[in-house]
Amino acid sequence: MADKKINGILNHPAKMDAAGEDSRSTRSIALTGMIFALALILSVVENSFPPLPLPVPGVKFGLSNIAVMYALFFLSKGQAYSIAVLKSLFVAMTRGMIAGILSLSGGILSLTVMLILMVLFRDKASYAVISISGAIAHNLGQFVAISFIYTGMYLWAYLPVLLISGVGAGIVTALLLKFIIPAFERLRK
Amino acid sequence: MKLFKKTDILIIAAIIVSAMAIWYLYSNTVSGRPVRAEIYYWSDLVEAVELVPGQEMTFSIPQDEDVVFHVDKDGSIRFIQSDCPDKVCIRTGRIHLAGQSAACLPNGIVVKIVPTDGWKEGDPDIVIGSSGEQ
Repeated sequence: MADKKINGILNHPAKMDAAGEDSRSTRSIALTGMIFALALILSVVENSFPPLPLPVPGVKFGLSNIAVMYALFFLSKGQAYSIAVLKSLFVAMTRGMIAGILSLSGGILSLTVMLILMVLFRDKASYAVISISGAIAHNLGQFVAISFIYTGMYLWAYLPVLLISGVGAGIVTALLLKFIIPAFERLRK
Repeated sequence: MKLFKKTDILIIAAIIVSAMAIWYLYSNTVSGRPVRAEIYYWSDLVEAVELVPGQEMTFSIPQDEDVVFHVDKDGSIRFIQSDCPDKVCIRTGRIHLAGQSAACLPNGIVVKIVPTDGWKEGDPDIVIGSSGEQ
């Protein structure tokens, strides 16, 4: 449903005049910026909540991934990667280099896995499953980065946690994405 | 694309079941094995403590006196004090099974539980970024 609307905007005949390409790329830069801003707001909102009361500390929903997922599902992979990289730069500036590296390794792996699934399965996969796979990949990416920066860690002890928290976070972000889509759509008008 | 599909339930169930199976196999393989706690400071091994039930001690490492560890009588170790902002290390709580670890990432400190006799042939052996202690 939303896909059609987007194609309508992007391929609108009136925009395909001589200045069409330019105005489209300006639009897309502006839109990427706005969605990046939303990603930052989502992460500020998430960080203002108390930590989740879980037996395993440090588990988060990763709400700002909603913005990256929106870009991947409805805009382009270039915009999605830009937002993921910008987000990690912001984390590096505010919370330090290591946090930035963790954000980048999780973010890039997550986005790449979601992109591969979308290419492979197209409409056969649901947002929920793609989002869950992305969340698990995010966890794995961070785990690998932590293992390299600090010390080798034993994956078997952590795989169950990475999988189950990925399922939880994936479902939550997919549901929220559904609710937030109308707000994103307003940005594009 | 749909938000949810009926088949998603199967996929989610499969992920959760395999997570539980992995946990079961893992904890069965390592439980009861004598272990020691290794403390790493920015990936350098700086301290190792045998975790023998019955002993109790509180200590810190010279590299960072603000981070304090406690070994309990039940043979577990935990962070009890740290100057990091998020306190994830303290909230991790007690760890005692080979393969578990607790980390204070802002301070660069990781406590890792390893079998006293090392990982053996036939153990599930995925240690990512291992620094050659196997």
